[in-house]
Amino acid sequence: MADRIECDVAIIGGGPAGQAAALALSGHGLSIVVIDEQPRPGGQILRQPPARFAVRGWLEERSYRPLKQLLGRFQALDDIHWLGSHSVIGLQRGSVMAMGPEGVTTVTARHILIAAGCHDLAVPLPGWTLPGVYAAGGIQAFIKGQQLLVGNRILVAGTHPLQLIIAAQIVAAGGSVAAVLFAQPRSAMVAALARHPLAALRRVPDLLATAAALRALARAGTPIHFGTSLEALIGTDRVSAAQTSAGTINCDAVGLCYGFVPQSALPRMAGAQMRPSGPAGGWACGHDDFMRTSVPGVSAAGETTGVAGAAAAAAGGALAGIGIALDLGLISLEAAEHAARTPRRDLAQHRAFAALLDAVADPRAYFPAPSADTIICRCEDVEQATIAAELPVCQSANAVKLATRCGMGACQGRNCEPSLLRMMAKAGNVPETGFTPRFPARPVSIADLLPPQ
Amino acid sequence: MSADRITQDVERGEPITIVIDGQQVACFAGETIATAMLAAGLDAFRTDQRGKPRGLLCNMGSCYECLVTDIATGRRIRACLAPAADGMEVSTRG
Repeated sequence: MADRIECDVAIIGGGPAGQAAALALSGHGLSIVVIDEQPRPGGQILRQPPARFAVRGWLEERSYRPLKQLLGRFQALDDIHWLGSHSVIGLQRGSVMAMGPEGVTTVTARHILIAAGCHDLAVPLPGWTLPGVYAAGGIQAFIKGQQLLVGNRILVAGTHPLQLIIAAQIVAAGGSVAAVLFAQPRSAMVAALARHPLAALRRVPDLLATAAALRALARAGTPIHFGTSLEALIGTDRVSAAQTSAGTINCDAVGLCYGFVPQSALPRMAGAQMRPSGPAGGWACGHDDFMRTSVPGVSAAGETTGVAGAAAAAAGGALAGIGIALDLGLISLEAAEHAARTPRRDLAQHRAFAALLDAVADPRAYFPAPSADTIICRCEDVEQATIAAELPVCQSANAVKLATRCGMGACQGRNCEPSLLRMMAKAGNVPETGFTPRFPARPVSIADLLPPQ
Repeated sequence: MSADRITQDVERGEPITIVIDGQQVACFAGETIATAMLAAGLDAFRTDQRGKPRGLLCNMGSCYECLVTDIATGRRIRACLAPAADGMEVSTRG
């Protein structure tokens, strides 16, 4: 089955960036379609419980308040075509292909905004394919949305301070955290903070949220260790313990928290100019001062343009909306420049804070070491040794892919590309790009691509 | 072990039943297939080339580790995104 929708603006992503852009564009009489993989808007930061649930006191922490207000305003809009439960599989100038539960819908649009968010960096180490090992953000999303605790004794480990917030949310939900492990020493984190004092001061609420998380974990008696790294995850049919640099820790679930990388498949497929993202790796979409990409008619905002948090995403989304209104001839350049002042200032401030967070969370010196038989490409079960054997002769990520099948599977290389590029860099070959993006960005059946009979 | 539903301050949809590899699994309307499976202690979403069970990783539709088959339609669906529907039959065996 293949449906068609025609609209003025297609927004990919119903998180803070997409919401803010839709709000900036509403009231101009435009037809706007917002596409998201989740059934309800909110993005990962506000993964809403299903409509069939009622959750009292949902995400009441103060740091979520402005985002919940933004979501409320977005949900109150009556001129938005919400296309939830749809994954964008293809994108080119003027057209987006989205796959839903019933098949593929082609959305033609005068302007497209990519606000596709980010995902947890997948970090290979021995035992990481055991059931019970999750990206930490996945554990958090289960709590926020599905109201589920994935284990009775959850270990959270990595380098990113977000793991303190996640651990505190597990405890607040009635769960138990085996420990929070920071691979870097506390002194390295303090030194990074000290290098960016102004950025830190401007974002006191975020620091307070972290302090509140630390207090909650202290009350629960949750151990927090610095300078303690993961070496291997142990278990037969599921994870039962972690081997760390400070001994073995028993657990029944693990959340890996080494940072986040932009969802980059769509801008790359569209041919937009990209640049290396933060220290965690990945690729961020470049843009001008109205969030236009290098592809005419295609803008980008939010984590797709570099992982900087929900507040930066909202500012970037608002700016993108103003830019699109300008490009569609709805407002004058003067009006656009005036309206852009506040979101531009906000975006710059939030990005300064993100740079601080990047420095504090920098995982590069602390990645666990995969062993020869550790799976790097989870989709195709390609082991570290198989890839390592090709590095002396393969000069590009694509060449390694062809030789080993690394990156050829269902996830389209999202999981393994950063790992592969790190391996290549370590072997003395720093590639300028990763895998060539291919249509479709998500697997789709041939039957769904055929025109209706 | 199994994952635990948070019950305090949470009302779920009505009780429903889905079938995973022939096994009846009780769950609630609104839950994803992944939630229903994890809460029932079923944390293997497929078996890899080494014959080892594999869990889901990202829970946001990106990693494709939770692909299962909807028996009625034959579609490969992501268990972390697809809602459970009463009577739905799912296979983790391709």
